[in-house]
Amino acid sequence: MITSIARKEFAEIVRDGRFKWTAAIMVLLLITAMMTGYQKYSASIRIQQAAQTGTNEQWLDQGDKNPHSAAHYGNYAFKPAGPLSYFDNGISNYTGTAVFMEAHKQNFAIGRPASDQSAIARFGDLSGATILQLLLPLFIIFLGFTAFSGERESGTLRQVMSMGVTNQQLLWGKALGIGVAVIIVVVPCVLIGALALSMAESIDHAEGVGTRLGLLSAAYLMYAGIFLFLTLAVSAWTKHARTTLMILVGFWAFTGFLAPKAASEISKFTEPTPAFGKWMADMRAHQIRGFDGVPPFVKFAQYTKELFKEYGVTSVGELPMYFVAVRLQKLEEYDYPVFDQHYSMIRDSYAAQRRVQDKVGIAAPTLPLRSISMALSGTDLIQHVKFMTDAETYRRNMVVKMNDYLSKASVHLNETYSSSNYMRADEEVFAIVPPFEFEPPELSAMIDEHRGNFVLLALWLAAAIGLALFAANRISLERS
Amino acid sequence: MLEAIQLKKTYGDYDALKGLDLKVEPGDIYCLLGANGAGKTTTINLFLNFINPTSGTAKVCGIDVTAQPLETKKLLAYIPEQVMLYGNLTALENLRYFARLGGHDYTQAEYQAFLERCGLQSGAYAQRVRQFSKGMRQKVGVAIALAKQAKALLLDEPTSGLDPKASNEFSELLIQLKGEGASILMATHDLFRAKQTGTRIGIMREGRMMQELGTEDVSHADIERIYLEHMHGDAGRYAA
Repeated sequence: MITSIARKEFAEIVRDGRFKWTAAIMVLLLITAMMTGYQKYSASIRIQQAAQTGTNEQWLDQGDKNPHSAAHYGNYAFKPAGPLSYFDNGISNYTGTAVFMEAHKQNFAIGRPASDQSAIARFGDLSGATILQLLLPLFIIFLGFTAFSGERESGTLRQVMSMGVTNQQLLWGKALGIGVAVIIVVVPCVLIGALALSMAESIDHAEGVGTRLGLLSAAYLMYAGIFLFLTLAVSAWTKHARTTLMILVGFWAFTGFLAPKAASEISKFTEPTPAFGKWMADMRAHQIRGFDGVPPFVKFAQYTKELFKEYGVTSVGELPMYFVAVRLQKLEEYDYPVFDQHYSMIRDSYAAQRRVQDKVGIAAPTLPLRSISMALSGTDLIQHVKFMTDAETYRRNMVVKMNDYLSKASVHLNETYSSSNYMRADEEVFAIVPPFEFEPPELSAMIDEHRGNFVLLALWLAAAIGLALFAANRISLERS
Repeated sequence: MLEAIQLKKTYGDYDALKGLDLKVEPGDIYCLLGANGAGKTTTINLFLNFINPTSGTAKVCGIDVTAQPLETKKLLAYIPEQVMLYGNLTALENLRYFARLGGHDYTQAEYQAFLERCGLQSGAYAQRVRQFSKGMRQKVGVAIALAKQAKALLLDEPTSGLDPKASNEFSELLIQLKGEGASILMATHDLFRAKQTGTRIGIMREGRMMQELGTEDVSHADIERIYLEHMHGDAGRYAA
């Protein structure tokens, strides 16, 4: 029975000229988005790899110089695009793609693609994710809004209900028929995207691409299910197709446009990000007065005393290391906790904002889906924070290695009265700093982080099905 | 068999049906006559369980429609004034769909035979019903009823708007079904068709059954006169 209803529903939909047009537009948009996304992704990977290789070579070829000067010469870390960023570029347009790593300073990422775009970019990129998050629900609404209310108006519902069909059979049959019509439009496009990905030269930037794709598909399937059953619920509830359409389009606009904007504003209000100028001034002041209130120069004087005691000397010249290098490194280290605290403050405020936005997902299913989609595509805040953390770890390691090398100069000086070996570093020395390599966050950690969003989507789906069943069960032909 | 026992339906203060008693035996074509608002469609809706009675019972083949609506719907076929079909499906597809909803499935030849029996031209079988005239849709509606092998038919002004030829063909089909033992309840305004097709006539007014007549006992003229007198509220002397 359900299959018969589904077949009829499907046949009716695909024979409708309006379906052909809208399906063609959907397919065209999806394939265009996937292809342009893939092209951007490929170009981005090529540029990133070339830039990273170039900066690594520059580091090695910077010319013989003092190792600490080399640390000031610095190096760049370029963020590789996530393997599914061609599908969902998330916040990567706004987070920056490169970090300059140098002695004494922790820098923010630079190279935000959005800054190179025109004002039209404010409307967002045409990505597969945007189309599936915004246009797919509209497509489902368009296919399903007449499912019950339209049949009630045309009179076929009476005819059907007189045949001895249960309301639930009707609901499941219609859900299946509309679902299949949606799937035949969307799935081939997604498969084309996946095929393009499988042919990509470089997909080793995140573990479990297959798992990510599977989870992404599951999340979008749940999202489509939510809209399908909500559409059927409203259609069963209302008496006129026009009313059904108005309610559903209203909800679509709310969840797709208003809720994300509102969630963003609410999160900024409840979890404000520190103003940049003040934040920077506070950090500088904190560096000067010391992380724990003891200024770095006082700390270092104490450390010098301990060093003299340890080596049983009374002057820096007697130390078996180059004292300037030791001082440079210690001052660097005194800044670590200050950087950690202040940069964490920014990161924590962003993370708190994201959690607030996720909570608004209780009222709008687009929000949890958006978070999951960005996370699995490797274009979310967690990915960016991990990149920044890796870059900072790399920077510290680079500076330590250079200062450490420099610190050995004293021994050599004392022995040979020549600083040529340790006061000047060459390519061989620079090579002790390995090239930067980004390790994306583990997939399991990402799934853990978004467990709540998966639950929220599942709850939305369960609620939509429940609502549809309830509405279908109370279909009345009393006044029709 | 269709049976209504003290069937009442009230909408707020308005009594749409005031304790209707009615029995349509197998082989009967019972024509319900009455002005708009007399309660004819309400009666049919109650048998279809589209609405619940305020009190009383409607039975199909002895089964209470309120207690077992799905069971009774399996035994019924319903042909409204306008048979509404799916415009993007062909006549055959519509027939197949509704037959399957009713729990039956046939071969292509059998489906075509149903349509042929109802007088639909063979060229129209594979046409989408969007372009069908009312008469053609009614024929598909009857084919659906035939395919359902229903024990009872509920017809709500099925010949309204049909041309005389189509109306006559429809009546002939009903007579054939009657001969096959179906219980047929037909709401109509067509006194002539009621006399010609029906076996019994019930005249309703303001939710009440005013009078029941056997069509063989009265002439066309009698039916018209009695009907009009009931409509004018002057027919006490004719009441059964």
